[in-house]
Amino acid sequence: MIGEEFADLLAAAQGGSEAAFSRLWRNANPALLRYLRVIAPGADEDIAAETWVHVVRGLASFRGDEQAWRAWLFTTARRRAIDLARHRSRRPETALDYATVAQLPSSADSAEAAMENLSTAAAIALLAGLPRLQAEVILLRVVAGLDTESVARMLRKSPGAVRVAAHRGLRRLAQITADAGVTL
Amino acid sequence: MPNIPQPQRQDEPVVTDADLAALLAGTTDAAPGLRPVADVLAALTAEPTGMELAGEAGALAEFRRQAGAQVPAQRPRRSSELRSRFGVKVGASVTAVAVVLGGGAVAAFANVLPAPIQRLAHEAIGAPIPPARHHSPSHSRTAAPGRSGVHGEPPARGGPGASRQARPHATPTPAAHGNPQSQGKKGNPPGEGNGKGGQGQGNSQGQGNSQGHHGSGQGQGNSQGKGNGQGQQGKAPHGPAQQGNPHKKGPHGSAQANGRPAGHPRRSVHPRPVMDP
Repeated sequence: MIGEEFADLLAAAQGGSEAAFSRLWRNANPALLRYLRVIAPGADEDIAAETWVHVVRGLASFRGDEQAWRAWLFTTARRRAIDLARHRSRRPETALDYATVAQLPSSADSAEAAMENLSTAAAIALLAGLPRLQAEVILLRVVAGLDTESVARMLRKSPGAVRVAAHRGLRRLAQITADAGVTL
Repeated sequence: MPNIPQPQRQDEPVVTDADLAALLAGTTDAAPGLRPVADVLAALTAEPTGMELAGEAGALAEFRRQAGAQVPAQRPRRSSELRSRFGVKVGASVTAVAVVLGGGAVAAFANVLPAPIQRLAHEAIGAPIPPARHHSPSHSRTAAPGRSGVHGEPPARGGPGASRQARPHATPTPAAHGNPQSQGKKGNPPGEGNGKGGQGQGNSQGQGNSQGHHGSGQGQGNSQGKGNGQGQQGKAPHGPAQQGNPHKKGPHGSAQANGRPAGHPRRSVHPRPVMDP
């Protein structure tokens, strides 16, 4: 999260400042990718790129604080992921197991990147094993930094349902880690 | 269904909702049973890797393209759009007004407007005077003869032949509206009162009245011309014949009594002077 500087950065980006936009992008894109790796495995980078194109086009007219900014960003990404899922359901493809793919390094000569990504990738893989709603709620609450009300609006659930899903997901995650003895 | 409490396992840590809420909030001191979960969540929010920042160049290129397309082009486009819209509106308004006024003027000079509007146009721009209503000759012939004198037309004095000639003339000419010049120049007493009154037949009573107003004193000669001494003058108390002196007007009044406009007398008719009883 950016914090108090967000309003100035947003205004500068809306005024055409590349540096300000770069700051916004670097702050949000990793979380966006991690979220997309769970809800749209294998298409995270493509959906993230499309999301940013959409955000750039609507940046001048955006009004809101950092919570609204993140909610807009992740809502856009979620809609793109849903569209992609619908498209794939019409044209089914044989997909690899995401957990296997996510733990592999993307570039063959980047061993260091693979090592630093391993813990994060393992955590994403653990979350991907949860039920969809629980995993998504935890990701939006923890990774995206959204509050319960924002997540509820985004998922079209009640705040109570979101809270229950988060707690159930955490309990289940605790159970999994306790049973498997996972250490990251 | 009875709610049977399940015995808690001795090795399973107790996790409360408050602990989970604190975990979601990112507190570092998690409960002992939640430390592995806290580590997972911490890994999810770890520092970004190089791969996660690899797409920055593409995003900046898109941002640059959008910013270059939006910022400079918007301001001039607004002013030019406003100017063009205002110009189009003004042009359309001027054109509409010109079409309406021009069409109205043409219609007024063509004398096709409704009578009240035509009168206004006459007063405003000198358009022709609206014509009065026409009565078909057949209608006037079939009307009751007894009404002739009521509206001011002196009944024709002539015989049946004379009465036929004295058809009411419902179309007033400029002379019929009391234009003294046309009457005086042509020497014909304008027969407005005559033609309308239906001297012989007395059909068009309403016309006789209106014309009597306009041409009061003018149509008196007509009644004389047409009436061959046989008409009933006494039945036309309000007509122009009563207002004026029928003997003063010219001998050509009979022509107007035949329904012709003033200035176009019918020469074949020779009026006779009528003696007052």
